[in-house]
Amino acid sequence: MEIKTINKIKKIVLYAVAILVAILFIYPLYILLLVSFSPTTVTLDKLLPSQLPVKLTLNNFISALTQYNFVGPLFKSLEVAFMVGAITLAIAIPAAYGLSKLNRRTGNLIMVFLFIANLVPALIIAIPISVEFIKAGMFDSPLALALAQSLFTLPLATFILLGSFRTIPKDLENQARVDGMGLFRTIYTMLVPMAKAGVAAAFLLSWLTSWDEFTFAVILSPLKPTLPVIVYINITEGSLIQAAAFAAVVSIPVIILTIVLQKYIRGIYLTGGITG
Amino acid sequence: MRFRIKRKYLPVLLILPLIFYLVGISFYPALSGIFQSFHSPSTGKLTLENFTALGHYGIISAIINTFILTAGALAIEFTLGFIIATLLTKTLRGKAIFSTIYIIPFGIATVVSAYTFSLIFPAVGGYANSFLALFGIHAINWYANTYMTLFTTMLADSWKTVPIIALILFAGMSQIPPEIYSAAAVDGAGPIRRFFSITLPNIADFVTIALIVRGIAEFNIFALPLILFGYNPPLLTTLTYEFYSTSATLYYSLSSATILFAFVLGFALIVVFRKKLVGAYELTD
Repeated sequence: MEIKTINKIKKIVLYAVAILVAILFIYPLYILLLVSFSPTTVTLDKLLPSQLPVKLTLNNFISALTQYNFVGPLFKSLEVAFMVGAITLAIAIPAAYGLSKLNRRTGNLIMVFLFIANLVPALIIAIPISVEFIKAGMFDSPLALALAQSLFTLPLATFILLGSFRTIPKDLENQARVDGMGLFRTIYTMLVPMAKAGVAAAFLLSWLTSWDEFTFAVILSPLKPTLPVIVYINITEGSLIQAAAFAAVVSIPVIILTIVLQKYIRGIYLTGGITG
Repeated sequence: MRFRIKRKYLPVLLILPLIFYLVGISFYPALSGIFQSFHSPSTGKLTLENFTALGHYGIISAIINTFILTAGALAIEFTLGFIIATLLTKTLRGKAIFSTIYIIPFGIATVVSAYTFSLIFPAVGGYANSFLALFGIHAINWYANTYMTLFTTMLADSWKTVPIIALILFAGMSQIPPEIYSAAAVDGAGPIRRFFSITLPNIADFVTIALIVRGIAEFNIFALPLILFGYNPPLLTTLTYEFYSTSATLYYSLSSATILFAFVLGFALIVVFRKKLVGAYELTD
């Protein structure tokens, strides 16, 4: 009986902590939504604003999306994010296939080397390449930014693809060779479709990384900004309520993708694929 | 014979584009930036003047602040990370929902989280203070001095970074066989004792990964301090960016970035080789 009560108390404490942590994690997002859906009179203009929604409005979004330059940065962000996904897959698929053909030890060793590339601070890369891009007339171009951001995504994407390729039985591939399929046909018409979950995850995580990325974006593309940079510009110019609306819009695809990609994000722990 | 050689080298040929890409766009610019930082912008001669000049711009306090921020943020993140990882190892109803909630901040853009925390911790008033006011607690100035500013930044930063630490530590913890714990409990070891003598030593590799991943990211923390408090107190990253955005001092920004890189590299080496270092220390002791 006594042990039962102790266990019960333990259980209650456990749930209490779990719920408290959950509330702490949701709170900032709640505040973001609260500010973006409330008139400024009850949020930003107040010294101590209410924790609960007092009045709701859509005006912040309407004003941000109509009076501020939203469409330009949105398209720039989309363009760069899709380019990053494409560049990443174009380079990472053959590389991951190549790595899967090496023995495990060598493959893993090369993977570690690739992740070291992620450890070089973005600033020390971005500043010299911005000088090169200015010389090459590529400053502010989406391709230049996508090339730089792909640095962050390539090691992780290669790692995910390598994991997927390794699970495909070797016999299938040998069969394809016997049937006279060339190397690239084997990769693209047989292996890629079989590893489609991994390929999709690699693409979407690359897309997401680019969509969120700030350091390269603010240095390489300040005049034709992406969405994170326009949020920053709005903050520095004091257009706080528009920044809130933009920030909320930026976060919608992010939250959906994070939930969908949970399984793969859990796999990130093995890597260094995190950006500052 | 020719066919076999080709097959053998094929994997390497397929990997090469990736290696060239990383070397060309990452290592080469980084090295050329470091190279330039040791050269005079006017005469092009080898010099340390770009580094010595940084002394007038608060490089020392930037280094100290970066260290405090990194150490403090790691301490907060690891504490919370261990709590969440432990929660995830327990049997909980609705665990899938909890773990989904715990992972969401990971994907949020740094700029968005920085902006949101500038609403929670603004210079005056704000949501954190309005919450404290509900309990009759007097408003806190989150940026009263350098240490307070850095502490506020650590708190704001931990929201987005705890999930990844928790995931890494959880991955390590779930590999420990539960029998070890039950045996220790029978022997009368309390939860704290069990944590330090069973959990920690068994997940050392995972702690290393988490330390490297987060420690390096902490040294590079940029958008969050920039949005929360701007350039003052200085950090290595914000100082670098300040030099960069006033184009006359491009070489200073390179030398400041070089210092940042040196610290990141040093940190990574210490973490990776810490066992050997500790071993050497014990031998000499």
